[in-house]
Amino acid sequence: MSDDNDTTDDVRTDGSGPGIVPPDDEVPTWRERKERKQGLARLTYEYFERARREDQDLRQESSYVERDVLGFPTWPHEVIRNLAITCFFVGMILFLSATLPPHLGAPADPSSTPSIILPDWYLYWSFGLLKLGDLNPELAILGGEKLMADRTYGVLANIVVVGAIAIVPFLNKGSARRPVEQPFWAAVGVFGVTFAMTIAVLSIKNLVPMNTKLLQDLTFLLPFVTGAISYAVLKTMREGYMYDLNRRYYRLRPPK
Amino acid sequence: MSLQKKDDYDHSTWMQKKDLTVVEKTYLTILMWLDKRLRVVDYLELLENLYYKTNLQMPKSHTEQYNLDNKFWYWYPLYALGFFSTLAYVVAAVSGALLGFYYSPATTGDPSTAYNQVAFIMTDLNFGYMLRSIHRWSAQVMTAAVFLHMLRVYFTGSYKEPRELNWLIGIVLISLTMVFGYTGYLLPWDQLAFWAGQIGVEMSLSIPLAGEWVAQLMFGGFTLTQATLQRMYILHVFLLPFVVTTLIAIHIGIVWMQGIAEPH
Repeated sequence: MSDDNDTTDDVRTDGSGPGIVPPDDEVPTWRERKERKQGLARLTYEYFERARREDQDLRQESSYVERDVLGFPTWPHEVIRNLAITCFFVGMILFLSATLPPHLGAPADPSSTPSIILPDWYLYWSFGLLKLGDLNPELAILGGEKLMADRTYGVLANIVVVGAIAIVPFLNKGSARRPVEQPFWAAVGVFGVTFAMTIAVLSIKNLVPMNTKLLQDLTFLLPFVTGAISYAVLKTMREGYMYDLNRRYYRLRPPK
Repeated sequence: MSLQKKDDYDHSTWMQKKDLTVVEKTYLTILMWLDKRLRVVDYLELLENLYYKTNLQMPKSHTEQYNLDNKFWYWYPLYALGFFSTLAYVVAAVSGALLGFYYSPATTGDPSTAYNQVAFIMTDLNFGYMLRSIHRWSAQVMTAAVFLHMLRVYFTGSYKEPRELNWLIGIVLISLTMVFGYTGYLLPWDQLAFWAGQIGVEMSLSIPLAGEWVAQLMFGGFTLTQATLQRMYILHVFLLPFVVTTLIAIHIGIVWMQGIAEPH
């Protein structure tokens, strides 16, 4: 772990004392390891040597103040808590299973299509995206024909949604963590959650006692409404919260 | 070799000065990108010291390594969702292995062996209904926990800079969880399963260019047959368990390495 060769005669628990373990001066330093290597391996060591020194510099510059309690003990604190959570949680699953046994429908019959075909609830959002054929753009050049089949459009909509979620960390950077610190991204999140729910409802539109057109409009309107509301609320709360956070921060690390 | 202090942290200039080939440059860029996020150097050093010293020590837990104090408890119940989904995954794996003793994926028979076996589990087998119930509920709970886990990560900004990789792995995992659920949904081979399978075939057929190939690969044809059930079974009990378990291990391993992102 360390490259220092200042082994003393104290009994040490890190295995660097006398015994079956070779003495520390047999462990090559980064420099020695680097010099033994060629090509990419050498490059790796050169970079690591550098990274190590940068870490060391950062540590020396750091104004970090040690606290009284440095870690949360694994035993008994963490273990007892985890066991309690585990027991509670497994118990919850067992309770649900005992009270609500699953359904087994009629056997598969290719010749009779049931009136209601539904996937499990967690696929409703994806199922809803498959039913967006109405939004599939028609091109005037093609004589009002659709650019792609409705179902292709639905599959593409799924890919677009997943892709949008995937690139979030590459768009939103910085150290802000709490929703109040970044009302815009929190609003985007609320928009997404609401949209997932409304599109799920849209996927079961034949079961919802509501005008289909109205339902479709609401599907796309509601997310914007909830997003705007959460943006406004967070923006309003922001000042007070930031004041509080800053006060706590500066109490912990007084400005020089 | 002496490096000037002034260009520390300016890795791109350092790289330019070294006059590297394309291979070296690409390699070093990836290495630096990963190292900046995961501190690969620490783990490589650990392995090397194991090699040189042969004595093994446990790495520090994230609470020790990052000196987390009670800030860890902030929004704590929401921070347990990842653990919940892992736990539900384990419960589902155990009950699924037990169900595997009694289920067989065959469409032959009247109405089909698969359906008859599930009916046998539900009606004749001692505690069989409980077994299937546990399997189904743990799957449902796992999916719910995974969705909520993703929301928690989003709203506490935990996907940010050093953790993009884990966010991407998480997206793959949530998708695979849903594939897990879908393949499992098809196994009883009842009406719902059959017609959900039909929708799946149509979905994959509508993928541009690769559609027919995907339908052949996943469903074994364009109509639902024995091949479909067999493939869903193998996906559900063989392929996905290995892939998902590995990904979960990597996902949690990265959390261990990087520490928990606190909302502060």
